[in-house]
Amino acid sequence: MTTPWARAFGYRTQKDKSGNEIEAILTKIPIFEELSKRELSEIERILHRRDYEDGESIFRQDEPALGMYIIQSGEVAIVLEPSGIQVSELHDGDFFGEVGLLDESPRSATARAKTHCRVFGFFQPDLFGLIERDPRLGVKIVLRVARIIGARLRKTNEQARALSEELQKLKRPARTGSRQG
Amino acid sequence: MPGRESRGMRDLSVLLLIVATITVLLVFGGVAEVVIISLLLAYIFDPLATALERSGLSRTLATVVIFLAFVTVIVLASTFLIPVLLEQVQALQSGSASEQATQSIVKLQAILHEKLAPLGFEDFNLMQMIQDFKVYIGQKAVDFLLQDSVALVVRLVMIPFIMFFLLKEGREMKKELIGLIPNRYFEFSLDLLYKMDLQLGNYLRGQFIDAVVFGALATLALWVLGVKYFLFIGIFAGLANLIPFVGPIAGMLLGALVAVLDTGDVMRGIWVAVAFIALKLVDDFVVQPLAVGKSVDLHPMLVALAILTGGHLFGILGMLLAVPVAGFLKVVLMESIVTYRKYRFT
Repeated sequence: MTTPWARAFGYRTQKDKSGNEIEAILTKIPIFEELSKRELSEIERILHRRDYEDGESIFRQDEPALGMYIIQSGEVAIVLEPSGIQVSELHDGDFFGEVGLLDESPRSATARAKTHCRVFGFFQPDLFGLIERDPRLGVKIVLRVARIIGARLRKTNEQARALSEELQKLKRPARTGSRQG
Repeated sequence: MPGRESRGMRDLSVLLLIVATITVLLVFGGVAEVVIISLLLAYIFDPLATALERSGLSRTLATVVIFLAFVTVIVLASTFLIPVLLEQVQALQSGSASEQATQSIVKLQAILHEKLAPLGFEDFNLMQMIQDFKVYIGQKAVDFLLQDSVALVVRLVMIPFIMFFLLKEGREMKKELIGLIPNRYFEFSLDLLYKMDLQLGNYLRGQFIDAVVFGALATLALWVLGVKYFLFIGIFAGLANLIPFVGPIAGMLLGALVAVLDTGDVMRGIWVAVAFIALKLVDDFVVQPLAVGKSVDLHPMLVALAILTGGHLFGILGMLLAVPVAGFLKVVLMESIVTYRKYRFT
């Protein structure tokens, strides 16, 4: 048992078991993969643990984006509204909503739990607080988030180029076809 | 767009918040006072703790450093300043006016009697009034410093103690608190809490810096002008400056009155008044825009009501705390409404 004085000065007699589990999950997330043990425990301290039931919304489309979520266990569907089209399904160790770490603009889709889910929220105001307290760690994280978003942008550009080439190909035979006809 | 029902809910919650705050203040008066002061101090020192963390200290060590510095300041102030202050207050209370002052007051009184007799000024005793006012001010200050000394000591111990934990564990406390919110309102509450925190911190720190700067400038001006009891009047003016409208005038009147009564020279009083007006202009146009900004603009009527309520509940201390508390409530309400509108609760 910790004495009141030990508690006052933040002395921990034994490492929290759930703390180790969280660190193990965090090291698999690209944003945190290069962080030291001390830095990981700094991140762990600002994460919010939340539990969601099957069918419950984690966030909703068009509401302000506040940050990202990491799935510890369960399945999450990313759904477009109002059509209800599911654009992606995420599982243990996946993360989503990371654009919200940099930008407060509205969410582009709804995230809904498909089973009972335990997730960790990592939010913009906590990241800003971290940047103020420990700028080196803050910059590392912002840089990783920027790289991930950059990689996604490159991928989107490639897809857009492939689609536009496809479109050109489709237009060409149609035009020659109409001349012949 | 929020419907009639949600607007009704909002009005109801605003009303409930105000009623709850007043009830808590009434029921737990003494406790609330200690908690409010500790909370204000924790807000004021938070950026300092963050800066110390940035330089490599842990949060605990940063808090210990601030705590020790704060306690040192209190001990030094009690050792050096309070005896000087008490001496000045007692001298102010018992010191009779100088010969010249008595003459000028008698002259002024004669003029009042002669010219304003039809208005009912024939029984007007200016000398007595001034004497009574001095005794009253002195007595109030002595009451504040000496009487209830046990309560004062308890406060002096409890406030740094609570401040220590709020400063050290404030972040974890906020996290725990937000952990209790149901999922549907979680992001909204988190968003709201952070925005309120930011605005409140800036506002309270601004008020604190403004009071310190104004008090220091007033003390310096009074010292330069050779006014007796400059330290007491300067500190009074700095604190009083937290109370809009009435505060700066009270500081100026006290300074001018003491200057006139001490030297018997009316010009000296006028110089003090001019110095206070100049200081207030510097405060309004330079210090306040830099320190406080326009983030929490309270309506003058709201300020007046807050001061009256604060004074009614807790006396002079209540009047001083009234404006920050009113600012706090305004930030809570405004941010709640603005943030609520961004979420699809209906």
